[in-house]
Amino acid sequence: MAYVAARGGEQAIAAAEELHTTLNGPLSAVLVQSIERHLPYLVDRVMGEGSLYAPDLAALALAQTGGDLYEAVLLLRAYRSTQPRITYALPVRQSELRTVRRISAAFKDIPGGQILGPSLDYSHRLLRLDVLDDALSIEDRKEEPPALSIERCSMLNAPLPAVADWQRENGLLAPLPDRDPCDPSALPDVTREPISFPAPRAHRLQSLARADTGGVLALGYASMRGYGMSHPTVNELRLGYAEVTLRHPVTGVAFSAGRVRVSQAEIVDTGAGAPGDAPLRLGFTATIGWNEVKTIAGAMLDLEMSAPNPHPAHQEEFVLYHTEPVESSGFCIHYKLPHYVTFGSALDNLRKAAKTGETL
Amino acid sequence: MDQHLLLSTLARANANAVKAFAEDFIPDLEPITVVVNRTGLAMLPMEETVSGETFYLGEVLLSEAHVQISGAEGYAACLGRDLEQALAIALLDAAYAAGHNRARIAAFVDSQAAALDSADAVFGQQVEQTRVELETF
Repeated sequence: MAYVAARGGEQAIAAAEELHTTLNGPLSAVLVQSIERHLPYLVDRVMGEGSLYAPDLAALALAQTGGDLYEAVLLLRAYRSTQPRITYALPVRQSELRTVRRISAAFKDIPGGQILGPSLDYSHRLLRLDVLDDALSIEDRKEEPPALSIERCSMLNAPLPAVADWQRENGLLAPLPDRDPCDPSALPDVTREPISFPAPRAHRLQSLARADTGGVLALGYASMRGYGMSHPTVNELRLGYAEVTLRHPVTGVAFSAGRVRVSQAEIVDTGAGAPGDAPLRLGFTATIGWNEVKTIAGAMLDLEMSAPNPHPAHQEEFVLYHTEPVESSGFCIHYKLPHYVTFGSALDNLRKAAKTGETL
Repeated sequence: MDQHLLLSTLARANANAVKAFAEDFIPDLEPITVVVNRTGLAMLPMEETVSGETFYLGEVLLSEAHVQISGAEGYAACLGRDLEQALAIALLDAAYAAGHNRARIAAFVDSQAAALDSADAVFGQQVEQTRVELETF
């Protein structure tokens, strides 16, 4: 490895930054607030991959980078590294989520019912050109939703039972093992220790939670198209709010510091296990923010990685190393940096080989 | 009123209202020692549903404050970078623990809780409208 000292570029760098601002518009608090308010799924994606729940900072990162996702994730991760970890929250449990969307593709009559929640899944995928033509926002046209009775509202506030619990009760899934209550501060943590393979399950799921959405989708899609060993179904997909529950350092009383958006997906597949095993197997992924594609594809990869002899693209090491957004994008863009010496050396070798008639 | 309700409600309440309310208490609480008032991270663990293992979902940016007044300590943490909000809640936590104006603090917390519950109920209605019954043919 050799380095090149560059001289005389300071003005050009300042001009490049100014041109970037000229093309993308000035950075302002109003812009950041607008991004946070109107592009929540984009903000969620940056928070999920940045592994930090801070909607205003994720919106700022997007504004500052002109919407370059990888740069925004890098900014958020860099900010995260400046902050001390001051505490560990109590674990989030599915049964305690304030669920706003819960669907199952495996069973239509799931306990608690199917809730479509905030979604455009069932809407026409057509551009609303009339919004541009009339210069009216969709919100301006929206009619007031009809009022609902309090009884119906209380149904929603009841916890939605897990589909997997019903499957376990009916012998379709292996029962959950008995576990001692865990110490939230003592879990394996990929941000503090290198990952080794086979990875502890906590490392695998943490890596998937902060993984690149596009990377997870690409590898998951390869499984879906036929390179995988299974043909799974979405057992349960949930979007909701989780309480960040902390303990008061003086009194020990548990309290909520606020709510964060989270999403989780379970994928179910028919067994292929040993005789006597439960007939169904589950894969799981969750992430900060609402991101359905990532959690569904991640849960498929979880299932594939646990299978014996997975396709090379679905081996745990391959998946977890190649879906890390900051390392992969960073390695990619480092090729833009000066490689004059290494490339010049390669050319020298080519010229020498040409003279001597060798091939490289 | 319990401490859980006070801290959980005020962490989600309108920050300006909380700060304005706490401002009135400061002269009565002097001398105040601010032990901690900073931003930092809380790691958020989650229990998965395949084998019941717990893993780290990611971190959450928090503001926290720890204060001491005569005869009591107060603590607060809330999402985001608003150090003043955390400080205001910690002062109210300390004031309530020390028995200062308990009725007034309880009334304020109750009013904020009612506003939050009302907003939750409206949102709950909107979500409930998306419930669907599926049939197969």
